Amino acid sequence: MNNPNYHAIHITKDKCLGCVHCMSACPTRAIRVGEGKARIIDQLCIDCAECLRVCPYEAVHSHTTSFASLEAFEYKVAIPSTVIYGQFGPTVLPNEILSALRRVGFDEVYDLSSICELNCAATEEYLNEHPSPRPYITSTCPVVVRIIQRRYPSLCGQILPIEPPREIGAKILRTILPKALGIPAEKIGIIHITPCPAKMVSINSPATLARSYLDGAISIRDIFPQILKALRKSEEDALMRHLFPETLFSGIGMGWSLAGGETRGLKSHRAVAVSGIGDTMRVLDEVEGGLLQDIDVLECTVCPDGCVGGPLGVENRFLAKSRILELVAAAGEHAVVDQKDVSRLYHRNFLSFDHPVAPAEPRPLDSDPDKAIRKAQRRETIFAGLPLKDCGICGAPDCRTLADDIVRGFARLEDCPFIKKEAR
Amino acid sequence: MSAAEAVFRQDFPVKGGDFGKAGTVACRIKELLKDLGLDTWTVRRAAIVAYEAEMNVIMYAWEARVDLAVSAGAVHLVFDDRGPGIPDIELAMTEGYTTATAEMRELGFGAGMGLPNIKRNADDFRIESEVGRGTRLDITIRTNGHRTS
Repeated sequence: MNNPNYHAIHITKDKCLGCVHCMSACPTRAIRVGEGKARIIDQLCIDCAECLRVCPYEAVHSHTTSFASLEAFEYKVAIPSTVIYGQFGPTVLPNEILSALRRVGFDEVYDLSSICELNCAATEEYLNEHPSPRPYITSTCPVVVRIIQRRYPSLCGQILPIEPPREIGAKILRTILPKALGIPAEKIGIIHITPCPAKMVSINSPATLARSYLDGAISIRDIFPQILKALRKSEEDALMRHLFPETLFSGIGMGWSLAGGETRGLKSHRAVAVSGIGDTMRVLDEVEGGLLQDIDVLECTVCPDGCVGGPLGVENRFLAKSRILELVAAAGEHAVVDQKDVSRLYHRNFLSFDHPVAPAEPRPLDSDPDKAIRKAQRRETIFAGLPLKDCGICGAPDCRTLADDIVRGFARLEDCPFIKKEAR
Repeated sequence: MSAAEAVFRQDFPVKGGDFGKAGTVACRIKELLKDLGLDTWTVRRAAIVAYEAEMNVIMYAWEARVDLAVSAGAVHLVFDDRGPGIPDIELAMTEGYTTATAEMRELGFGAGMGLPNIKRNADDFRIESEVGRGTRLDITIRTNGHRTS
């Protein structure tokens, strides 16, 4: 299953008109347009979903899990991202959302805010024990892991080797539920609910685990109508259920999905939070250049404002963020996790990666050093002769990329409409 | 080095005081070295060296020309700037020594790690400076034949 080039983002050819929106938006220049259709280059794509956000024709889709496909499991467990708490109006409390998910058809639903708190405490412990290198980079965002593998390979060793809350949560449940329920582990389905297509990448092609502890990820967008229906049906009961809360939420974990939320609970370490794909790449370039060594931990999430800005959410991210901030304020600094428990799990390596993140296969211009140098020289000569309009008509996002494609043998100089004209 | 050996050369301008573009040349150089198939750690060392040297120009000099030359065995970088020059090179090479203004340090620059850090990451490092005219850094990073592919 572990195919390093598995992708959660795909282009539906029938819907693609071959315009250049996705190609211009792609931060790793992984898209080309040819024969009227956009095409993604597997080795360059990091599953950030910028293309999905900008496509006007809904031709970019993500492979998330469908609710119907869960029928195969005897017992279905949902562990929704804390982003879900910001998707409904200000009167809908987190407990109601979890209970609505049970009515949608999950046998059990667990809150992840406590696991987020646990992750933060484990991170603190790891940083205490490992004074170098600096900065460590958090691994919650699967796109950040992938972009480091592909574009910043020297930073693989700086990824903080504690699994993200969704995997820790699933691992705990996978350990305790079969015994508690008397159901074989393989018949229990543990599903993440998320605004993020890239979670399918970390599930189907995990960079740090032999196998993911999750069985799938349902997009918030897909399951939202069913939750809404369940919430409406029980509006009156909800009023009374407020008085008997079933779950205790962690004040430290509740804001996890907002940029800075992962590291907000750190007590004795200097953290910097970066969000958005462009800024993340800019800061990773700086780290690779030896900067930011006075920072202990760098939290990077490629969606704007953090996971709350994920492309598969429903509520606009500003309202969702405001709602989550209210919940954070209401929960206060309330801690639900005992530091001693965290320490015990941490020292049993229960929270750690199975293996470090490995760099992706590099893409030099040529495997022969001298040939690579000659191709780079040729690329400069070609580039100097291009019109520098970055129009995209050739099918590459800009003139520099066209020159690169030409020396790699994927394009021809005649693909440039301006060169063609001159030749005539 | 045989006479027929291929060498890739490119030069880049850097403007003093242009903090908005800080790191652009270092990033271009890094991408180029990756395309040329140099191994991850040679690229990382070159990126650190280029970043530090570029920052020095932006912080202290008026302008500079960066000459990059890459052969199969080595990355060679020359930073030739027009600027105030360094009166006491030995002092400037001391870890932690800085002439950065409080303003620069507030921005996170000028921790006095620049020149010693460049030396640490280079296999060969030469510096010449003339007060009132400028500074020239001559840096070689050998690839030791380690290549990624």
